[in-house]
Amino acid sequence: MRGRTHHLWIHAGLISFTLLAIYPVLWVLALAFSGQQNVAIIDLPKDPTFLERLRSVMPWPAHVSVKNFHDVMTEQPFGRWLLNSVMVSLMTTVLGVFLACTAAYAFSRFRFPGRDGGMLAFLVSQMFPGTLMLIPLFIIIVKWLGLGNTFWGLVIVYATTAIPFCVWMLKGYFDTIPIDIEESARIDGASPQVIFIRIILPLAKPAIAITALFSFMTAWNEFILASVFLEAESMYTAPVGLRFFVGGFTSQWGFFAAGSVIVSLPVVILFLYLQKYLVSGLTAGSVK
Amino acid sequence: MSQPVTWLNRPALWGLGVAMAVVLALTAWLHGSIGTDLANQQQQRKAVLVANAIGASLAGADGPAASDRIRRWQAELPALESAQVVAGRELLASTRPEDEAPRALRREEKPLFDLATALRSAGETNVAEGAVRKKTVQVDAAGDGAVTVTVPYVVDGQFEGIVQARLRQPPDAVADRGGGWLLPLALLGAALVIGFFVRVQPARRFDVGRGIAVVALLALAVGFQQQRLGRMADATVAADLATSRVQAAAATAYGRTGAPPLVAASASPWDTDAYGRPLKLIATDGTLLPRPDAVQKDSHTRFLERSFWGIDLLGLVVLLFFTQGWALRTASALRDHAAAYAYVAPAMIGMLVLVFFPFFYGIGLAFTDTTLFNEATPFRERWIGLDNFIAILGDFNVVTRGAEGTVFNYQNFYWTLMVTVIWTITNVAVGVSVGFVLAMALNTDGLRGKWIYRILLILPWAIPNYITALVWRGMFHPQFGVINQVLQMFGLQPVAWFDGVVSAFMTGLVTNGWLSFPFMMVVILGALQSIPKDMYEAAEVEGATRWQQLRSITLPLLRPTLVPAVVLSVVWTFNMFNIIFLVSGGEPGGANEILITKAYKIAFEQYQYAYAAAYSTVIFVILLVYGYFQTRLTRATESY
Repeated sequence: MRGRTHHLWIHAGLISFTLLAIYPVLWVLALAFSGQQNVAIIDLPKDPTFLERLRSVMPWPAHVSVKNFHDVMTEQPFGRWLLNSVMVSLMTTVLGVFLACTAAYAFSRFRFPGRDGGMLAFLVSQMFPGTLMLIPLFIIIVKWLGLGNTFWGLVIVYATTAIPFCVWMLKGYFDTIPIDIEESARIDGASPQVIFIRIILPLAKPAIAITALFSFMTAWNEFILASVFLEAESMYTAPVGLRFFVGGFTSQWGFFAAGSVIVSLPVVILFLYLQKYLVSGLTAGSVK
Repeated sequence: MSQPVTWLNRPALWGLGVAMAVVLALTAWLHGSIGTDLANQQQQRKAVLVANAIGASLAGADGPAASDRIRRWQAELPALESAQVVAGRELLASTRPEDEAPRALRREEKPLFDLATALRSAGETNVAEGAVRKKTVQVDAAGDGAVTVTVPYVVDGQFEGIVQARLRQPPDAVADRGGGWLLPLALLGAALVIGFFVRVQPARRFDVGRGIAVVALLALAVGFQQQRLGRMADATVAADLATSRVQAAAATAYGRTGAPPLVAASASPWDTDAYGRPLKLIATDGTLLPRPDAVQKDSHTRFLERSFWGIDLLGLVVLLFFTQGWALRTASALRDHAAAYAYVAPAMIGMLVLVFFPFFYGIGLAFTDTTLFNEATPFRERWIGLDNFIAILGDFNVVTRGAEGTVFNYQNFYWTLMVTVIWTITNVAVGVSVGFVLAMALNTDGLRGKWIYRILLILPWAIPNYITALVWRGMFHPQFGVINQVLQMFGLQPVAWFDGVVSAFMTGLVTNGWLSFPFMMVVILGALQSIPKDMYEAAEVEGATRWQQLRSITLPLLRPTLVPAVVLSVVWTFNMFNIIFLVSGGEPGGANEILITKAYKIAFEQYQYAYAAAYSTVIFVILLVYGYFQTRLTRATESY
């Protein structure tokens, strides 16, 4: 008897907090499906009553409509920005996974002079603050290499920033693959390249999948570098474009909300699916 | 184990050869580029001299007389292609007949008017400050050999207007742009011959052969560099001589324009630097004046001398690389582990070019005065040493107590540091406490629907944080935002969230708290679930209260998980750019900026690249110090 009332209180507390916590999500959804551009969910009359105000904070639009989704993809260049983001993220993933796999394999399987120093250098690079890198990167990529306003400038920077985390993760996984498999393949006459491509990579699929996802998310969610490197509106990635809707002089909250839902949906689903691995990876890495 | 690399087995020969080649190439290249620099500067110096002389000759001349005088200038000096005089809004005189001077400036000639205004204000600033901070001479080298210089012309200390002169001078015969392959080749040959006969035993710590190699390298290198320095000195003298000839010609021409006579036998007032200060190297009649001790050597020569030391040192390192056997070892390591290096190379090259190089370049940038506008100038001219750091760390002007009360200087570094520290502490505290309470609630035995709560409560973490930030910005909208609607619902006044220092800080805190509690909750929940249940059962048997159980079982066992999570989230929050930048934007008046957003704004809104780099370097040092103490602290807790 005592236990049940106890749980009642916990449920009450948890439910109210959860409602509070997901309110912003509901708010965005309400704006996205409202079919209008205002930051308010419904228009209030002059001198509104308590109930009218209460209605205005309820996350439910006055008229449910998918107009914002339709317009943001057709009238606005958001479809293009989304495509840019997909391209940049995919290229980053391919390049990042290639760089990380080869380096991690060498660190895991070979003993060579400079190995420890190299791995330490990768770790130390994680401490460099973003803005300290931002100015030189801007000068190198935009002024020297002339890669401003291109995808390649972003891709090579994203891929290299993702390298250290990916290399450490993959190396840990490669370490768990027994060396006997490689040795028996070598006796059968397989060359090191064949061993790496035909045996090690297929065995490491789960870890490579995580690495690929991490690279993809790095590129998909990045906002600062993209806004510094890309000037032409047609080259924007989705994050820069979303800010464009509500930052500065325009405030098209409907487009922003619809765009946000489109951009977040794949990431949120992936995240919820993978969160267990993420947490264990984070804490395991920091305890050691 | 592995066979020695035989082709490298002549360390002295290889060492002397490669080191000498490096030294010769760098010395010749540096000398050549500095020589070109000197030659360009020389052309500009002569052009400035002529323009100043023209300006001086205009004293007391009205429009027609001024036109007359500058046409005479053109007749006297064939190098002068054209000259224009602008006074106020008027084109006072011009050598080009089609200009029909004097007349009012045309619309398309606005740049001339703007230039005159800029030079005038620069000159007046210098006079008012009693210092030389702003350049009063504008030089544009067209690249086709012609130089256009613009100087103010001043009559009786009064700014009258500007003279813009375009000169196309024959290239100076004196300009020394390197050249001469014979000497370097001979020196390289000598180095190789010495290297051929010298034997080095890498196994020994020191031997005679190595000593001979070092001495030979230094002797040959210094010999070559002295020869180049001699040529540089000759070039400098020749440059002064060429200028003195122009001075003599200008003095003659000046005399024929009918302007007031020159003061004879004193330093030329026309031969000036970019700030209009006379160089005092040439007399009015064109004779060379003795160089004062302070400027005994031309700045180019001084720079060369210092750089040559660096080049010699580099050569020595290259030589040692071979004679100490490091080259052999590197070569055999590269050969024995070729596969490993091939696998690492792509990632390593990427990291070197796009992570490590930018990092050190950024730190180097911090010691310069680079802005958007002087990026093209050579690095050595932008070098200012520690000035940026002194400006950032040495400015304690945080609080002013005046008649209007206490005023905070929000632009000050220490204010921003304080905001950052408060920001980090409050955010981590909010994240940990909310996360802890939720984790405790979710860890209740037999609670139904746990996984639904978990999934819903983790959502804020899953959404990209720039979207979160913009969403909360919308909800804090002062007029239509839902948060003010709720306040008004209960009869409260709406708050102008981004206008007050505290309220704007709260917007950031709420947003960041919202997106950071799920991480803490998940981490703590994981740790709670790993605490064995029988510990609580035993405690209950012993008669411990819930509070006692929390203090003596839960908290100590949470500690190993909680410490790294807090450490991580401190760094994340300290560097949380997106929330501050997108929610409040550091409003009002930059009061809520944290260090990292401040550095960004200095770089990309004020274009003070070097100052921002210095700012970021300070941030890096702060993080480094934090990291150091944090590791010590973690070690201490681990042993506990």
